[in-house]
Amino acid sequence: MQFFGGSEISPSPPAPAASGNNAHMLYIFNRNGVCLLYREWNRPLKTLSSQQDHKLMFGLLFSLKSLTAKMDPTSVEKGNLGVPQLPGQGCSFHSFRTNTYKLSFMETPSGIKIILVTHPRTSDLRDSLKYIYNLYVEYVVKNPLYSPGTPIRYELFNKAVDQYVRGLG
Amino acid sequence: MAAIYSLYIINKSGGLIFYKDYGSAGRMDTNDSLRLASLWHSMHAISQQLSPVSGCSGIELLQADTFDLHCFQSLTGTKFFVVCEPGTLHMESLLKHIYELYTDYVLKNPFYEMEMPIRCELFDINLAQAVQKDRVALLGR
Amino acid sequence: MIGVGKIKQYTNVLDRPLSKGKQEVSLSAFAFLFSELVQYNQTQVDNIAELERRLEDAGYAVGARVLELLCHREKGNRRETRLLGILSFIHSTVWKVLFGKVADSLEKGTEHEDEYMISEKELLLNRFISIPKDMGAFNCGAFVAGIVKGVLDNAGFPAVVTAHFVPVDGQQRPRTTILIKFAEEVLQREARLG
Repeated sequence: MQFFGGSEISPSPPAPAASGNNAHMLYIFNRNGVCLLYREWNRPLKTLSSQQDHKLMFGLLFSLKSLTAKMDPTSVEKGNLGVPQLPGQGCSFHSFRTNTYKLSFMETPSGIKIILVTHPRTSDLRDSLKYIYNLYVEYVVKNPLYSPGTPIRYELFNKAVDQYVRGLG
Repeated sequence: MAAIYSLYIINKSGGLIFYKDYGSAGRMDTNDSLRLASLWHSMHAISQQLSPVSGCSGIELLQADTFDLHCFQSLTGTKFFVVCEPGTLHMESLLKHIYELYTDYVLKNPFYEMEMPIRCELFDINLAQAVQKDRVALLGR
Repeated sequence: MIGVGKIKQYTNVLDRPLSKGKQEVSLSAFAFLFSELVQYNQTQVDNIAELERRLEDAGYAVGARVLELLCHREKGNRRETRLLGILSFIHSTVWKVLFGKVADSLEKGTEHEDEYMISEKELLLNRFISIPKDMGAFNCGAFVAGIVKGVLDNAGFPAVVTAHFVPVDGQQRPRTTILIKFAEEVLQREARLG
């Protein structure tokens, strides 16, 4: 009998061979755009206050989602540009890359958005994001003291995330 | 099945100056393509602001569920982007080639007005050839 | 390119022999310059015929100079006096110097005795130029027509020279034909010479 439910955390996906910390930041937003968690490991450049930074990030994700939903070349019915999409509705995206970083994105059915910013040459991180989601479920959702929609302040969760991300290539 | 779905060219202020569809499903009217172009323009700019390290020049590749979007920005701020099947290769070189065609057949044309929509027969002809060649290269894979 | 040593050798520019010069110029540089020429002239006119005339005038000045230069360089200070001679001089010598190749064809008009045509599959000038639909049959080759006219006039063969697009079967792009219509006096003189 375990204290917080019975499910095992699935084994982490194999981390790419290269060691060292390639990750820059991690964001977790809920469906209303509240930043539940922001972790930063390596961010030399900061131009905005953290609040503005989070807003901008959420806005970027929102707009990119409506862009991809509208641009989707495989579906006939695309709706109008800018109309909010429900989680899982319409064509979304899972990552983008610039010359300086790569952003991997995952949205859960409940509208939780997990964003991991890493080195531009990082490989596909979809499984890693799922694993982080798994950690979130285990350490946050199952915590009776946590009230949904508030920022996450749990040492255990942070430690687990840090440790996992550090292992990523 | 087309490997490339569509091509957009945006001027430095975010206006769509060229749009060509190579067989996407669903209709996209002029208004939609214009709005998508200007939306992409601002997303591209925001992505630079969010960079954790300096020297970011914006999104180069966006991987969506059903397509990849490759974007190339010239030093003067003109953006070229193609929407293609996920995992399509050699899009960077195709975009560079399209840029070359643009500098040749659009910028050297005395009847083209800078930053305005592109209506140049020679550009269309050469672009069609370039895209066709790309498809042939894909078939030969 | 003229070497540094050579410049030292001849202190006076007039003492220097006329070199053939570098045979190549940047196509891009030329294309941009020509593009600006067309754009400038476009701001100065209010109809297409006028634009055509201005391009022709610009070419005329080039033709007059080219004739002078080539008679000296290639012809040993002699010039052609016969109709076919001057035409083939334009078709080969002038074309080679200006465009790096001989013109694709030189033909005699079938309908009129006084008409000749020089045709190019793709005129160098038009390499990067797409004519907007609202400009109709306008052809930037008017500049080349002007050059031909300049050469002919100054060699003593007054003529009316115009540039036209001619569609070619099986080709996406039309070719450009430079139509030369000689003045009556030229043909009369030609007939006298036999």
